[in-house]
Amino acid sequence: MRINAAKLKNLRNLLKKNNFEGLIISDYTDTKYFLGDFFHEDESILLITLKHIIVFSRSLYENSFKRKYKEALFVSEDKNRPQALVKKAQELKLKKLAFDENKELYSAGKLYLEAGFKETSSLISYLRTTKTEEELKLMRKATKISMQAYKNIRKYVKVGITEIELKRKLEDEMVFLGAGGFSFELMVSFGANTANPHHVCDNTKLTKNTAILFDWGAKYQEYCADMTRCFWFGPNVPQEYKKILSLVKYAHDKVIAEAKCKMTGAQIDKISRGLIEQAGYGKYFTHRTGHGIGMQDHELADISHLNNEPILENYCFSVEPGIYLEGKYGVRWEDCFYMTKKGIKQIK
Amino acid sequence: MKINEKLTQFIKLLKKEKVQAFCVLDNASIMYLTDFFFYSPNDAFLLITQNKVYCFTKKMYFADLKRKVPYLTLLESLDINDVCKKAAKFKNKFFDSTLAPYIEGTALVKAGFKTLPYLLEKAQEVKAENELKLISKACHISTKAFGIFKKQLKAGMTEKQGAALLENIMQELGGQGLAFETILAFGANSANPHHHNSDRKLKQNEPVLVDFGCKYKGYCSDITRTWWFGNKVNKEWQKLFDLVKDTHDYAATLAQDNIRATTLDSAARDFMDKAGVSSKDFIHSLGHGLGLKIHQKPFLSPKSQDIIKINSVFTIEPGLYYDGKFGIRYEDTYVLTPKGAKILTK
Repeated sequence: MRINAAKLKNLRNLLKKNNFEGLIISDYTDTKYFLGDFFHEDESILLITLKHIIVFSRSLYENSFKRKYKEALFVSEDKNRPQALVKKAQELKLKKLAFDENKELYSAGKLYLEAGFKETSSLISYLRTTKTEEELKLMRKATKISMQAYKNIRKYVKVGITEIELKRKLEDEMVFLGAGGFSFELMVSFGANTANPHHVCDNTKLTKNTAILFDWGAKYQEYCADMTRCFWFGPNVPQEYKKILSLVKYAHDKVIAEAKCKMTGAQIDKISRGLIEQAGYGKYFTHRTGHGIGMQDHELADISHLNNEPILENYCFSVEPGIYLEGKYGVRWEDCFYMTKKGIKQIK
Repeated sequence: MKINEKLTQFIKLLKKEKVQAFCVLDNASIMYLTDFFFYSPNDAFLLITQNKVYCFTKKMYFADLKRKVPYLTLLESLDINDVCKKAAKFKNKFFDSTLAPYIEGTALVKAGFKTLPYLLEKAQEVKAENELKLISKACHISTKAFGIFKKQLKAGMTEKQGAALLENIMQELGGQGLAFETILAFGANSANPHHHNSDRKLKQNEPVLVDFGCKYKGYCSDITRTWWFGNKVNKEWQKLFDLVKDTHDYAATLAQDNIRATTLDSAARDFMDKAGVSSKDFIHSLGHGLGLKIHQKPFLSPKSQDIIKINSVFTIEPGLYYDGKFGIRYEDTYVLTPKGAKILTK
């Protein structure tokens, strides 16, 4: 198997631009970005230089790794991988190596700094923010699986079922449809639990005339989907519930209509937040409008008032305005999008 | 306000080490100390002092935290500099360099924090009563699921389908997610101890190896079973399987309070060599501790410096691997009691 040439080329260009000879990659997802699904967590360090690809990992992988990736060098090390890396770099006379200050542990970073390497911030995260066509395809597939599963399990939404039971139905259905896992711990909340944006499912039973909220997403070949739907279960919908639900839906659609390429995360956040504030619910919209998404459910491309970086072509992110009335109910409406020259497009 | 047992223990440990303030940055440790589930890994910092536990986090967690962990003092910030400011008046302040990200660690060092590695790991090694209950529950679910799975596994199923089947059974029985990605290997794939499940179909008369575990309230279980699928059992395989199983049982009988992890590891290897089978093909360590994380202290490996204590939880998992042919591994999760190692995956 070969390591994706486009990804390697992009990284090496970025290295040259920053005057580095190589980058130390120890984050689990970042290594998967290049090597695919091979190692388990905390088992390997990848060093990509302008010339070499070197992997430092447990000796038990040596044979199978060499069989799979012929272009990479394998260094067996069971104990202290950062130290083995420093030694190898000295052998190869590599000096200008960089490590990621956000992803490296302090103990390893200190060792690298002592070896003369330099810290850098989020080079791979930055690469991963711009999705290739192939990556978008996988995200569409993950989204299709998630949506279909949701439709298929609607029949189980009945009085008496618990949050955990319904969540399991949704998980089973996604696996049945081809999901390789889930983007995060799925959320199914009933009643007042919907007012907690990060509720953990429990044994609450569904009763008539309560709020329901689903926040879920399948993973497909490492890529995530993420969506939220909510509705009132039963005929007696409170006026206020109706009002806040249509408000968040409207805020969600307003972002679709008005977000433009190169707007900052903060500007896009303002589109939905401004509307909800005007309606008097600003202080109940307790989180950001959205987050970047890709191999992880939360990546760069934050749609929040804190992000003053522009959102560029092929950045992927969620749009998920919400309103939470503690003790009563909460609503949120979420889909994922990617930026194009002509504005944002839904991943579906 | 009643502080939970684990945090109380940890604060005691801090007092003993004369630590005035300790900063915790990683999600697993925060969850361990508070029993609270933060949604993503960078959603909170803790600053633990002798009489107050500060939690720096996002606003959206406040309501839930106030209900579930009332003894925390909540502060709305995820800026490490705010932690530094809060800790300014303390002299003896520390963080764990093996758990903190480089960037935050650097800021803490600048503010006068010193590094104190492995303190949290040390605290997590010996389990509290309620932790043992949760681990036992996770082990019980996994073991029960295996019994059902073994009956339902049929020739023609792929490794991926089989793994999904087992994972679903664990969920049905009350499992809450996986302790790690299930490994299901058929035939020669079993020779790779960390095989990734493929679309290879199960055939009659070949070995099956499954390494799996579920989580329950965050706590892990870990089991491996190897068996021969079909009636025509290969004699060589059977002989080696019996040896691996005997090695496993033998190692378990040796576990006692304060024994060195290396003693168990080398005893298992000697046992194989004495039986006339080279332990060179036992290509990984004998076992590892587990809890909220699937790999933690004590590590039962040839180079480990760990000592096994009462109430630590660990696996014993000897194996033999023959590239291109097959691999065998037999693993259970144990807790060390005053009477010796007690099996939890039964």
